[in-house]
Amino acid sequence: MTIASWLLLLATVAWTTTVVAWSRGVARRARRDAGRRFFRHPTAAAGLAVLILLATLALCAPLVAPILPSTQINITELQNHPPSWQHPFGTDLYSRDVWSRLVYGARVSLGVGTLGMLVAVSLGGMVGAAAGYFRGWADGVLMRLVDVGLSVPRIFLVLAAIAVWDRLGVGPLILLLGLTGWFATSRLVRAEVLTLRERPFTDAARSLGAGPWRVIARHVLPNAAAPLVVSAALGIGNMLLLEAGLSFLGVGIQPPAPSWGNMIADGRDLLTSAPWTSLFPGAAIALVVMALNAVADALRDALDPRHGTGR
Amino acid sequence: MLPWLLRRVAAGIAIVFAVVTLTFAAVHLAPGEPFQPADGRPVNRAATERLRHVFGTDRPLPEQYVRYLAALARGELGESFSKRRPVAAMIGNALPNTVLLAATALLIDFALGIAIGVFQAARVRRRSDVALTNITLFFYSLPTFWLGLVLLLVFGQWLHWFPVGGITDPVVYDSLSFAGKLLDRLRHLALPALTLGLVGAGGTARFQRGALLEALGQDYVRTARAKGVAESRVLVRHALRDALLPVISLLGLALPFLLTGAVLVETVFSWPGLGKLAADAISARDYPVVLGTTLLVCAAVVVGSLLADLVTAAADPRIRLSA
Amino acid sequence: MTTQPRFPHAATALLLAVLAAASCTRRGGCTGEYCGTLVIAGTSDVTTLLPPVSDAAIDRDVFDQILLRLADLAPGGSTIGDAGFVPQLANRWEWTDPLTLVFHLDPRARWHDGPSVTAADVAFTFAAYTDTAVNSPDRNTLGHIASVSALDSLTAVFHFRDRYPEMFYDAVFHMRILPAHVLGSVPPATWQTAEFGRAPVGDGPFRFVRWTPGQTLELAADSTFFLGRPHLRRLIWRFASDLNTAITQVAAGEADAVEVLITPTNIKRAQDAGHLTLYPYSGSTYTFLRFNLRANGDSAHPHTIFADPDVRRALVLATDRPRMLQSVFAGHAKIPPGPMPQLWAWLWVPQLTVPPFDTAQASRLLSGRGWRDTNGDGVRDRNGKKLSFHLSVPSTSAVRQQYAQLLQEQLKAVGVEVLIDQMETATQQERLHSGAFDTALESWNTDPSPTSSVPGNWGRGGGSNFGHYASATFDRQIAVATSATSPDSVTAAWIAAFGTLAQDAPGIMLFSVDMIAAVDSRVAGVRIRPDSWWALLWTWRIPPDKLNERDRVGG
Repeated sequence: MTIASWLLLLATVAWTTTVVAWSRGVARRARRDAGRRFFRHPTAAAGLAVLILLATLALCAPLVAPILPSTQINITELQNHPPSWQHPFGTDLYSRDVWSRLVYGARVSLGVGTLGMLVAVSLGGMVGAAAGYFRGWADGVLMRLVDVGLSVPRIFLVLAAIAVWDRLGVGPLILLLGLTGWFATSRLVRAEVLTLRERPFTDAARSLGAGPWRVIARHVLPNAAAPLVVSAALGIGNMLLLEAGLSFLGVGIQPPAPSWGNMIADGRDLLTSAPWTSLFPGAAIALVVMALNAVADALRDALDPRHGTGR
Repeated sequence: MLPWLLRRVAAGIAIVFAVVTLTFAAVHLAPGEPFQPADGRPVNRAATERLRHVFGTDRPLPEQYVRYLAALARGELGESFSKRRPVAAMIGNALPNTVLLAATALLIDFALGIAIGVFQAARVRRRSDVALTNITLFFYSLPTFWLGLVLLLVFGQWLHWFPVGGITDPVVYDSLSFAGKLLDRLRHLALPALTLGLVGAGGTARFQRGALLEALGQDYVRTARAKGVAESRVLVRHALRDALLPVISLLGLALPFLLTGAVLVETVFSWPGLGKLAADAISARDYPVVLGTTLLVCAAVVVGSLLADLVTAAADPRIRLSA
Repeated sequence: MTTQPRFPHAATALLLAVLAAASCTRRGGCTGEYCGTLVIAGTSDVTTLLPPVSDAAIDRDVFDQILLRLADLAPGGSTIGDAGFVPQLANRWEWTDPLTLVFHLDPRARWHDGPSVTAADVAFTFAAYTDTAVNSPDRNTLGHIASVSALDSLTAVFHFRDRYPEMFYDAVFHMRILPAHVLGSVPPATWQTAEFGRAPVGDGPFRFVRWTPGQTLELAADSTFFLGRPHLRRLIWRFASDLNTAITQVAAGEADAVEVLITPTNIKRAQDAGHLTLYPYSGSTYTFLRFNLRANGDSAHPHTIFADPDVRRALVLATDRPRMLQSVFAGHAKIPPGPMPQLWAWLWVPQLTVPPFDTAQASRLLSGRGWRDTNGDGVRDRNGKKLSFHLSVPSTSAVRQQYAQLLQEQLKAVGVEVLIDQMETATQQERLHSGAFDTALESWNTDPSPTSSVPGNWGRGGGSNFGHYASATFDRQIAVATSATSPDSVTAAWIAAFGTLAQDAPGIMLFSVDMIAAVDSRVAGVRIRPDSWWALLWTWRIPPDKLNERDRVGG
């Protein structure tokens, strides 16, 4: 960590706080009260701040973490070095900077989580919408498929796929995570679509001659967006935890690419001698998942006022 | 009731059958040769041919599928590549351990979760509620394997309160009295069950709090309050009954969560269950074992959700009458 | 008013009483000289306990206690001639002519299930070890023996094909005598998965009791063992998933012994534990990176990268082995001048030098062979193919995983891309045997003499020559070394052979660890034989005044 990167880090924190405060202000003054309902939750602002901070850090990684994550700085002198000004989170077994690995690992973990969620939500949304709108035998077949998917715990599905297909790159891994995670979303969307298709505006669109897919895309899905967004926020958290678990077992992201999961695996044997190597990535995962859950809770309230949980 | 039950059982069987077909397809569509010789020696042509014949991979695909189904019906799941033992035997040994771990974790999960959820709902919006909301959120968001490592470090290595892994003490277990054996098992079970239970309890508590608060907002509760019924009675006798139902449906979701968590937690604590079996097998590319455990786990989840549905149906007359 | 249910006092009292009773273990139990229980922390699970089909060190650790050889190596004994050996199953032997060796079996030797050990067992064992259907890794080491026959029930006759210095060693060391009355009826082709491998019947100081795969394995002392009753009553192996877990168990007192510590962190943990004694001994293992000189998965064609000796030499020069050694072991290991452990100290001579760390020379060599970075991606290439290869590492070895990542980074500095494949040991073995690898980090635990492993590992057609290294010069030198008549000419021939290996660089020699075992301090008489660390377990004892809870249990 150079002085420049410390300053940039402080700047990022300041920027994050400003953005959150600004959005709070916007929400308060806006006409629709969704934003106000969002910020009414005590942890919503904090959660949003954490997510924006980590996303910014991940994007600007080279600026705030000048040392590359795979650089073995000095394998004889700087191994397992406790935190210091140069290395705020210490170094690991291979004398790599833990802060750098954490920030670049954020790219991997958040990236895999977000992209995987996008795949899952797109697929789940399409399947759920199709099943709910068309009904009939398509609905039956698709929902049976969903039942099958929900019956096997995800990690076993993923492990089974990895066992059979040997080496898995990052791209195939994201695809695999997405393909095993859309089942719950499709159920959710289907339920929404089932209610929405009976509404007057759908009838109106149909009577105006809109084709079924146009009706789904332009009218039904936007109104089903609320549960979709909430499930997306939760979905990133689940993807993150799953990817971390897989990397911990050694079948996710391969070294030397940093991932919060494989950092914990690397530091597992050093818990007593160098706890910082696995403490920080674990705390990072917990923090991000916490933030995502808090934001998802607040979003659920903001987007759909029927879901009140406190009187 | 009965037609509903039969339909659910039929659906369950169909799901298991679908997973079986999918795993068969996966094995035979994958690159490389399925069922390579377990023997690691230089390829012996005669041995390879013999194994091909035994596993039937020299037959046409539909015939292989039928033989595969027949083998499954007999309970044969193939032979492990790395351990040279029948997969069914390995799973048979590992299953009771995972059941024990999952059952104990489930107990901790629901006992703690429901208690905290009720407590929070009774003191809604007060400081204790807010603090507990953050605490449950924290535990719910923790990666299970990381919590396991931390608990192992603190309570196993530093404080020596619990052993650092395994299921029983390998040396003295046989000579202990019954109570001693029980205590030994409990000591080994404590940390892994606590790891899974704490994370699960976080989620259950959040859910229970929400369900109870929603129930408390219902008209019949307002009526009870208006009639002068004491608050605690309102909570327990009226609202809780209503709020427990959705939590019971959580039981159905808890099983997949526990089995997923088992893979990671069993690895951390060297707990010889299905999860560790699958995790060890994956690094050995021992896919008969991985596929065998996947099939079994799928069957377990199907049975579990069926039981959860039965319990819910028994408890909720609305479902019974409409089925 | 709602009434809170009160927790019945009676129930609390009962619960406390049960817990109290449970925590008291019985006093008394075993007392005296023969009570010790030793718990050994194993670093991986046993595969099979049938010696001819096993090649794992942990398997050997266990069947060392159960099955005997005709004669065993004395600590520090030489493998040339028969002076360095002590009687086991055979109590005396003689050479009736230069090519015929006659063993006289000890009449007191019996199998654990009753019958006496006879010369028929010896003949049966030789037939099994040399049977192609059994496919033993030791088969090639017995090539010089023409036949083994039983003259009578206590006399076994070995006929050799030719004379060479290690005739006696070959006759006794590789084979553990097997019970013909148990294994005779088992078809040889099924020995890989035979029941005997999970529940062996032996004639040694310890009897097999039970094995819970993945967890524990238990042996009990044979109090009528003809060479003396073992002082340890029970031996229990606890299988940990890796070395660090094993050491955690030993440090916590849940196990009594572990054969290696390896890393400085582990050595410190053992020292800090307070109840452990450390026993350094000459290391019998060495680790190296093997190049596959034939194409990955296709042994008919040469490897596009490693068939070229200059490329291999360049890769050796590009690795900073002393620094890696310092980083991983902090001085508790040495770099071998060839594929040899510290056990073969007589071969660590100044003529065999370790190539220095020289990235400039490495770069020159690589560029000279046409490997240049033409597209600026940091990785060299030639004719459109990248200088990139896979390195297979077993997931059970933390040290090798560490080396893999260190090597990856170092080779990146000279434009070579390394992709690390982690896998279980058995999978790596399978890939090695079938040639489906580019490079692999291998760790070998050797016999006292180079003759059993070096020709197999590097000689043309050798059973463990996974990289298909072939050199006529080397084969000639090996032939001289294994047939020379005087110890000096044997040494000279081996040095010449290793010199050729150093030149041709079929692998990068990485380290030979200083072995340090940690054993609970209450155990007395600890002797460790470098080539087979638990071989002398049956002579260890726990003095009666030092017996702990575990020793007394089950008396």
